[in-house]
Amino acid sequence: MTISLKDCVKLTGIVIVCFCAVFVCTFFLSFYLDVLPLRDSVTAETLPLYDAQIATAQMCCAVTGGVLTLISVIMLIFYVKLYVDTHAKELGTLKALGYSNRRLAMDFVIFGVSVFIGCALGFGCGYASAPFIYEQLTIEGMSVNVNFHVELLFALVIAPTVVFSALAALIASVALRRPALNIIRGIKKIKISKTKVHNNKKRTFVVEMALKTVSANKLLTFFVAFSCFCFSAMVQMGASMENLVSGTMGWMILVIGLVLALTSAFMALTSLLKNNAKTIALMKTMGYALYERTTAVFIGFIPFALLGFALGTAYQYGLLSLMINLIFKNVNEVPDYTFNVNVMFITLAAFIAVYTAISAIYVAKLNKVSVKEIMLEN
Amino acid sequence: MIVAKNLNKTYNNGNVEALKDVSVEIADGAFVVILGASGSGKSTLMNVLSGLEKADSGQVTISGQSLTEMNDKSLTEFRRKNISFVFQQYYLLHHLNVENNVKMGANLAKNSEYMPLIEALGLQSKLKSKPCELSGGEQQRVCIARALAKKPSILFLDEPTGALDEKTGRGVLDCIVKEKEKLGFTMIMVTHNQNIAEMAQIVVKMNSGKIVDMFANDKQKNVYEIGW
Repeated sequence: MTISLKDCVKLTGIVIVCFCAVFVCTFFLSFYLDVLPLRDSVTAETLPLYDAQIATAQMCCAVTGGVLTLISVIMLIFYVKLYVDTHAKELGTLKALGYSNRRLAMDFVIFGVSVFIGCALGFGCGYASAPFIYEQLTIEGMSVNVNFHVELLFALVIAPTVVFSALAALIASVALRRPALNIIRGIKKIKISKTKVHNNKKRTFVVEMALKTVSANKLLTFFVAFSCFCFSAMVQMGASMENLVSGTMGWMILVIGLVLALTSAFMALTSLLKNNAKTIALMKTMGYALYERTTAVFIGFIPFALLGFALGTAYQYGLLSLMINLIFKNVNEVPDYTFNVNVMFITLAAFIAVYTAISAIYVAKLNKVSVKEIMLEN
Repeated sequence: MIVAKNLNKTYNNGNVEALKDVSVEIADGAFVVILGASGSGKSTLMNVLSGLEKADSGQVTISGQSLTEMNDKSLTEFRRKNISFVFQQYYLLHHLNVENNVKMGANLAKNSEYMPLIEALGLQSKLKSKPCELSGGEQQRVCIARALAKKPSILFLDEPTGALDEKTGRGVLDCIVKEKEKLGFTMIMVTHNQNIAEMAQIVVKMNSGKIVDMFANDKQKNVYEIGW
């Protein structure tokens, strides 16, 4: 047994993403299942609103569930690979002793525990807040009671746990499909050197280092972009929701967005520092100044952060336009929705302030990386 | 001139005394070997002399500048201008190819003429190779090229042949000595191999955190005259 329950607790990223996904899906799906049988009692006057609410619940579940499931899968791949990399000597030695890939990969099934924790908490909180959410969603004159649906427990807690446990084992078996010695030495794949045509762009060495850091940490570019996407989309959507639907829904979206954004940002930056500790320590040993080390490690991720922000802005605009102009088009008294430039600029300013503060914390951490760290290796 | 006076260093809350009242003077351009068994304090002395670590007490002065009084930023700046390292485990960056690993050192000295150095170390055909594609000897030569491309005034070497076989080890030492003769930097090498000490001008023997002997060799042997 190479993985303990303690290792699973460290997968806070997965726990939080699963929590958010299941929390949102629980109350929307529960609302959908509770409201569906009431269609016959709806008056012709309120039918468009009823249909719009049903469509909203379906769309929110599909979008939130879909996006966050995808993120969870990517996070799981990231965590399994990270575990294999950080425990390469241990796993490689076991493999050299004769343990099969399958046997070693089976230990990774325990990663499903973190998915279970996130899903179970999300499910519980989703149901706990359902009465309050129903109040926001229910149509005037219609009484909807919160009922417990056992099929949701299966779909949102048990099934994801089983699927993610199997997936963790599968990812691990792929990651371990290398000679034992290569795992111990940390050799992933020997790339055949290609003679590249040199372009004429004159870059400084530190900028070149920054580009190499990005290409060596491709998965982290995704988390950086996702973090900024969440911040941008959910903050702007939260602000618009306050005007369009209700303040409570707006705040809820804002909080979920910030939790997801900050979780991803801290996860990405912590991993970035860990993965590059040797580079940072070596640069410091050689005499590279703090700003050069910071540039080499962090600067290459800025375009991905801005891309995430831009995509988030486009996503929230597209989603709200779709809801207002398509789903709620037959419903009376729904205010018009137009792109709010002021909200975008305020969000951009907040985004810059928050991410500069987070970066400052990590620059301070970077400066504390001991030059002895590389001397103590091996 | 490197001057160390009354250096003391402990680890594990004072339970391990790595350096006990160590004093040493090293002239510019000298080739010094610090000799000692594992745990004798030789690596700690190298780390303190190079400013990688601070002693608990005592003074280290290099060319009149006190390392003891420098803060972390000043020490980094000092290493940038004066010091290079060659490590036993190479510490090459695996995501950079040979050329970029060497450039990491060359960049600090704004040295764009690093190719002759790469050629002198026999690495010209490996320029675009990643460290994992190289043998141990080749990786160590890249580490040496990176250190020398920085044009240091002092080169610290921590067991540079410790992970190499005899033939490769001799080849690597030969490269280092030839470059030292060409560039004239001060060279301080930490090793447990008594034979290598015969190549040095000055030998500093350490045991249990103390300098137990210090002498100059009458005749410096070349790398092919020493045993292994």
